[in-house]
Amino acid sequence: MSKIKSLFDSGVFKSAFIPYFTLGDPNYNDSIEFGKTILDNGADILELGIPFSDPVADGPVIQRAAARSLKNTFSFDEIFRVTKAIHDHKPETPLVYLTYFNPIYHCGITKFLDRAKDSGIIGLVIPDLPFDTAESETLFRELKVRDMDLIHLVTPASEKKRIQALTKTSSGFIYYVTSFGVTGERREFSVDLKERIRFLKETIQLPICAGFGISTPDQANQISQYADGIIIGSAIQRIIEENGSDRSRAISALADYISKIRTSIS
Amino acid sequence: MGKNLPGYFGEFGGRYSPEILTEALEELESTYQKLKKSKKFKKELEYYLRNYVGRPSPLTYAERLTKQWGGARIWLKREDLNHTGAHKINNAIGQALIARFMGKKRIIAETGAGQHGLATATVGAMFGMETVVYMGAVDVQRQNLNAKKIEMLGAKILPVTAGEATLKEATSEAMRDWALNVSTTHYIVGSAIGPHPFPTIVRDFQSVIGVEAKSQFKKQNKKLPSAIVACVGGGSNSIGMFHTFLKDKQVAIYGAEAGGLGPKPGEHSATLTYGKTGFLHGTKTLIIQDESGQIVPAHSVSAGLDYPGVGPEHAYLSQTGRVDYRMVTDEQALDCFLEVTRIEGIIPALETAHAFHVARDVARDLGKKKDLIICLSGRGDKDVTEVLRLLGERSK
Ligand SMILES: Cc1ncc(COP(=O)(O)O)c(C=O)c1O
Repeated sequence: MSKIKSLFDSGVFKSAFIPYFTLGDPNYNDSIEFGKTILDNGADILELGIPFSDPVADGPVIQRAAARSLKNTFSFDEIFRVTKAIHDHKPETPLVYLTYFNPIYHCGITKFLDRAKDSGIIGLVIPDLPFDTAESETLFRELKVRDMDLIHLVTPASEKKRIQALTKTSSGFIYYVTSFGVTGERREFSVDLKERIRFLKETIQLPICAGFGISTPDQANQISQYADGIIIGSAIQRIIEENGSDRSRAISALADYISKIRTSIS
Repeated sequence: MGKNLPGYFGEFGGRYSPEILTEALEELESTYQKLKKSKKFKKELEYYLRNYVGRPSPLTYAERLTKQWGGARIWLKREDLNHTGAHKINNAIGQALIARFMGKKRIIAETGAGQHGLATATVGAMFGMETVVYMGAVDVQRQNLNAKKIEMLGAKILPVTAGEATLKEATSEAMRDWALNVSTTHYIVGSAIGPHPFPTIVRDFQSVIGVEAKSQFKKQNKKLPSAIVACVGGGSNSIGMFHTFLKDKQVAIYGAEAGGLGPKPGEHSATLTYGKTGFLHGTKTLIIQDESGQIVPAHSVSAGLDYPGVGPEHAYLSQTGRVDYRMVTDEQALDCFLEVTRIEGIIPALETAHAFHVARDVARDLGKKKDLIICLSGRGDKDVTEVLRLLGERSK
């Protein structure tokens, strides 16, 4: 069984806290420290972003993070090195990658997966690879062989038939997109969020984690009452953006924020 | 989903966009399938094309160019004479009618040269729809006349400053807007790019170019032309021109893409020459990218060709060899712009000037008594300021 799913099933977390940040912003070595800090202060699963030049599913904060990261020379060697360093710091916390499909395709699917697995990655989130493509099917097969997960996104616009269809090729957990649009902090969520998540839980036999727009401890607390996990990206990335030029300041701001969210959902 | 399903052209095409857009794309596809068969829709589209756009556009015999180039007879399919000055309006009208049918009150678009933005703003005004146009901040500068026209028509221009601040970034931003407002908004994609069904819809609406050109030419000459040429940015005017001729094997087909300043990455937009298979803006196609799969910024003197991807059908036609795609540099395009203007009394768009350069070589190779049609995708009024600036730089 999927490592991620068995963690959820074992009941170690009431609702999981899943932070996200982009590797390489402002540089690869600082990413290692940011990753360690986030792990130390209470991430249950950590999503690491591989930067892409054209992140169409992301809002301005994460777009800027990718752009800052790509000012460094991008290389998969660096990505895997940093990932491994973060993994070695706390091997029991699952790491997943969030990236767009083009870099993976370009690297070569099997080569990418082998190296990602060696670096400690156990799942992938790919916002521009719908489940009903030949590439997604291939990827799912290759992941399964390696005991890794393909985490699909479900949105407020996804229809029942589509949701049912995607259960065949998804594992780990479902990334439920809480609102229309792209990533970024929001003040409000759609009124039927709770109902949608309840419906998903009944339809898909996987944990349902909610993301896109969550930023405050209050929101995290509220949504964790009914979602199996909370994903936070832009708010964390903003801390790195605002403090990243000073590594130790960034680390303490991150530690502070992560632990606040941590307490709000447990 | 597999390669033989609708939306794929060989291995290219498909739908690789964020999940939030899937339902809208499926709605668009099923609506379009229904409307395509509807007599009422066809009539309505024909009505606007005839009475608003001014179709059919003429097929002009270019006497002086033919003499000057000393080869095949040159014919021009005059999309520059359409209302708003380019082929883009053919597609904008078609998609606006679909949007209206779906009950969407707001339309958005991306634009490079501003011609598609202008076409969308125009149909937005005519159909009374709220219109937003995303345009790279750099393009707002170099295509300022179009930017001003778009605003005058009542549309809102949102300049995009990310990245290179050109067409690629404008396209990403339009996709993000659509993701946020998908229930009220239709995204009028301006070229034969994007997730399925856009490449097919745009091609179908632009096919009127080739269908008219073929029948006009046949009527006058009782045969088919030996060759046709069009410029390729995203590839909508070209696929519109090419599509009906694809099955006529005796017609040689040429596409002109932007060779920019030279072959170095970042200096051109020659996707079909230098691109590799990848995924961008919802489609699998040829893309200019580096060895890690990051998209490399494109360059072209013409804002409308300045895009690192290309419509998936062109990627396929390039792979099968049915179409011969050639590069034209900024300098060559600029020279052709001036030559055609002076000799034929027609100021072509800088985009189209690329097609003229390829046409000149092909005409010479074909020799006399053969015929060649160039898709004159748009007029160059929008480019005059930029051309004057470039000439100033050249004389320094
Ligand atoms: C006059 C003209 N021709 C050609 C193009 C290139 O677009 P496409 O390749 O989609 O025809 C543009 C785009 O703005 C244009 O304005």
